[in-house]
Amino acid sequence: MRGTSPSVRPAGPGRAGGTTTRREGRPGAARTGAGRTSRGARAERLAPYVLVAPAVLILVTLRLWPLVLGVNYSFTGDGASNGTPVGLSNYLELAGDPLFRTSLRNVGLLVLLLPVAVAIPGLLATFIYLRVPGHRVYRAVYFFPAVLSPVIVGAIVTLMLGFDGPLNAALGMIGVGPVDWLGDPGTAMFTVVGVHVWATFGMALVVFLAGFSTLDASLLDAARVDGASLRQVVRHVIVPGLTRTIQFVFVTTMIGMLTSMFGLLFVMTNGGPEGSTYLPEYYIWHQQGQLNRPALASAASTVLFVVMLVVGLAQITLLRRTGRLD
Amino acid sequence: MPGMRLARWVAAVPMAVLALVTIYPLVFTANVAMKTRRDYVLDRFAPAGSPRWDNIAQAWAGAGMARYFANSFVVVAFAVALLLLLGSMAGFALSRLRFRGSSVIYLGCLAGLFIPFQVIMVPLTRIMADTGLVDTYPGLILAYVAQFLPFTVFLMASHYRTIPPEIVDAARIDGNTVYGVYRRIMLPLGVPALLSVGILDMLFCWNDVLISLLMMPSPEHRTLMIGVNALRGQYSDDIPTFASGVLIAAAPVLLLYLFLQRQIAEGVTAGSTKG
Repeated sequence: MRGTSPSVRPAGPGRAGGTTTRREGRPGAARTGAGRTSRGARAERLAPYVLVAPAVLILVTLRLWPLVLGVNYSFTGDGASNGTPVGLSNYLELAGDPLFRTSLRNVGLLVLLLPVAVAIPGLLATFIYLRVPGHRVYRAVYFFPAVLSPVIVGAIVTLMLGFDGPLNAALGMIGVGPVDWLGDPGTAMFTVVGVHVWATFGMALVVFLAGFSTLDASLLDAARVDGASLRQVVRHVIVPGLTRTIQFVFVTTMIGMLTSMFGLLFVMTNGGPEGSTYLPEYYIWHQQGQLNRPALASAASTVLFVVMLVVGLAQITLLRRTGRLD
Repeated sequence: MPGMRLARWVAAVPMAVLALVTIYPLVFTANVAMKTRRDYVLDRFAPAGSPRWDNIAQAWAGAGMARYFANSFVVVAFAVALLLLLGSMAGFALSRLRFRGSSVIYLGCLAGLFIPFQVIMVPLTRIMADTGLVDTYPGLILAYVAQFLPFTVFLMASHYRTIPPEIVDAARIDGNTVYGVYRRIMLPLGVPALLSVGILDMLFCWNDVLISLLMMPSPEHRTLMIGVNALRGQYSDDIPTFASGVLIAAAPVLLLYLFLQRQIAEGVTAGSTKG
């Protein structure tokens, strides 16, 4: 997903054959029987396969095979018509289901908010990199919620967002609110996304900071000597130097938004109010676990997978093009 | 660049506010956990006069957090151990051994990295149910291993690629078998990566919601995160006890973060700079 396809560098000269000759070269080794040596050589040849076998077995049976199986399920029926092919009827049902439509609309909202979710950690990382007073503390503090489970974050935030909770109390002091953060269908999704961004931007921040550490400091100094403004430094030195990091953050932030908000939804809203905070992952879980519609859920899974592929590829193409224009 | 210096100070203000906003919820929760129910209802913001630990004790013993904690602990310990073992074995073979099919296998691992759990959760649950692994510890452990193995293999392989192949060659000339090289050279040299990948795997497993929700339906098998949510329903009118449960669930990660923040950050960024 990073533009260049990862190259496998199979390690120096292979050794599988070498051992045999060397053993036979040793005095006395030939007499201990060619059988043992060749058995040893075969064991050596097989060793790489033995080392990768458990991982391959698990990945094939529990990741790749289910993917095939799931696409297959999505064209079969639920309940009475369990297992029989039903063509596209699951997909048609999805298209007609207002809850699924809401969940896709919410995905659209997430994609629209993506630049904000990337810009915030990018900007904060820039300031930390430029050594804002207290930058070490900020880095440690901002990163912290990112290591907490969404359940913990959701539970704590629910306490904060209560109608008579701290946030409304603080807003009351400046004469705003109170706001029903999670009870109003118009605001609930924004609240959940806001919490997600707040809780996870630390990850992107740390990635940005790692990218900054690879920047050429002399370029920055040169810009400084030439009297460049902060905006010019960001635009002409920092952004071009961080193209790959920015790409990486875009893609991972999007994947995070589409696949790791379940915990927050589960704890904070249960998809409500009025289904306004449904996302495909919550829909899939609900259809499968609660309503016993695995085939329909599989169709939703397939749609989610396609959406992620499309958005991911579109992002990479788009970012590459803007990178070239700059 | 005078503009820059000014901008730095201007930026420091919202950044400090954001830092406070980030820390305050945790402080608030900890404070609530120390209060009696009556104190909470009367004034939820006032600092708890004298810290009381009976809410914590109630959540730990009375509400079954101890059980959930033990479940999470066992599952995460086994899952991480397996992940590191299988991940380092495969990572070594894929980065430092030449054999037919290695590039296909490596690409397969990478592909596994981009299959989200949500996309395979229905068939995976069915496979687990068909093999009798649903609602068992091995089932959840296996599900975690399958979920985080691609990431683990990928990071271990990229770490092993930084180890000069000459070291492997020298060990082979000294008469080590491939397994000997793995055990005597690659495992010890892999410790830094094993540590940072292990910490991340631990966090992923410990923090997971969806997988354990699907794989462990019965209440006595709940992991800690599912338990916390159950606690909310049980103690909806007793917020201090609920806050105590949240605190118990957050404590291990909090401690891990205080001591190993640098390693966690390194693990997160390894994926972005390597590969």
